[in-house]
Amino acid sequence: MKKRALGGALLLLALYAGQALSAETRWVVSEGTTLKTEQSVSAPNLADLPVGAELTLIEGAGRWLKVRTADGKEGWVYAGRVSDTAPVAEVGGGDGLLGGSLQKSQIDTAKADSARSIRGLSPETAQYARQRGTPEGLKKELDRILARKVSDKEVKAFLKEGKIGEYAQ
Amino acid sequence: MKKLRLLSLVALACLAAAPAHAGWQDKLQNLMNPESKEGKILSGATRVVSSSQEMTYQTECTVGESLALESMQRFGKPVADEALQKYVNLVGNSVARNSRRSTIPYRFVVLDSQVQNAFAAPGGIIFISRGLLNLLENEAELAAVLSHEVGHVAEKHALKSIRRAQFLQGAATITAATMKGSEGKKFESMIGDLQSTLFDKGLDQGMEYEADLAALETAYRTGYDPTALVGVLRKLQQEEATAAKNGSWFSTHPPLDERIARVSAALARYPDRAGLAKLPARFAKFVKAGKGGKTTK
Repeated sequence: MKKRALGGALLLLALYAGQALSAETRWVVSEGTTLKTEQSVSAPNLADLPVGAELTLIEGAGRWLKVRTADGKEGWVYAGRVSDTAPVAEVGGGDGLLGGSLQKSQIDTAKADSARSIRGLSPETAQYARQRGTPEGLKKELDRILARKVSDKEVKAFLKEGKIGEYAQ
Repeated sequence: MKKLRLLSLVALACLAAAPAHAGWQDKLQNLMNPESKEGKILSGATRVVSSSQEMTYQTECTVGESLALESMQRFGKPVADEALQKYVNLVGNSVARNSRRSTIPYRFVVLDSQVQNAFAAPGGIIFISRGLLNLLENEAELAAVLSHEVGHVAEKHALKSIRRAQFLQGAATITAATMKGSEGKKFESMIGDLQSTLFDKGLDQGMEYEADLAALETAYRTGYDPTALVGVLRKLQQEEATAAKNGSWFSTHPPLDERIARVSAALARYPDRAGLAKLPARFAKFVKAGKGGKTTK
């Protein structure tokens, strides 16, 4: 009886190993990605998925994929927002590898950007401009360029208006 | 009998495990093949490791801002049409968030220049000239050009092309204080190298083809018809005989015939591309309306 149980356990283990190794991974590569209950942009959100998050592909080969998150949530994600390769990691303070550092560096870049938009061009660039004798007018133009921010909400509204991607009918 | 049953169970377990084991071996072997899924994962991991030796994002932004100032000196100021600048920023940010480098902020700028050109400064400031914009017919074509430039920023092509710059051999970071000293001189020299690469010599041809393929992928993932890139290249081909070459896409990019052939072949990867967004009417509303374009004072 014990042996039979052992045999059964071995069989289960082998089947599980086969399944685990054949599971395909997808990485979230787009900002503002959400896990949906159904294959529609208007379906309720199950979770916000950060860039770099690893997902296990369950099914789907079209524009919507059924996936499982690392914490076991299952739902649908728009295929354009995930990739079979990991996204490019940012170089922040030069510390750490993978996972945590990717998220940390995203925070760093967000901070850097909000600081930049408040004060305009950076002190380093301002010093460069002084040394090069760059006309004041061009510095003001660069300030305007850096201040022209586009929010995630604006992008979504723009895509929706144009019926683009997941908003296509 | 019991032993026999146990043996058969073990044999069954082994049979079930065999494909998994073979798969595991295959996956291990695939690690050596850069085109395989596993190879791509490995190259992604090594990219993260090697990136810790690279320039920080903050310094990359300083490089980009400095280069932006030089770009406006050379090609002219931004077009004074806030609605147009906002529109181009919306198209650009729509594609950038689906690129391989989606977490940094991007800025898109229409410059008041009739030279047909688009280029990207490191850190994510991307320029398109009024001359090139006027040549385009719809939003998908604009998305294709901007996706190509986002591809250069994502892969850090400009910085890779000036790897030998003295500045990058040292600490490769800059502050307002060190900008005044010898590091500042090296920094200025590097900005000079970047200008010469981006505006005169052009990037390595391989980088341009890579950015073309990235543009197809990014535009498609966003929901724009990737075929639009072929449309842009064909229009440029028609212009080639008469357009100003100095500092344009003609002088800094590979031969259009070859680009069209490669891009057309790569379109086979997107069999469901027909019916994706092109949006000529929305494009015309913002771009064709103020076609003359005036610079700010």
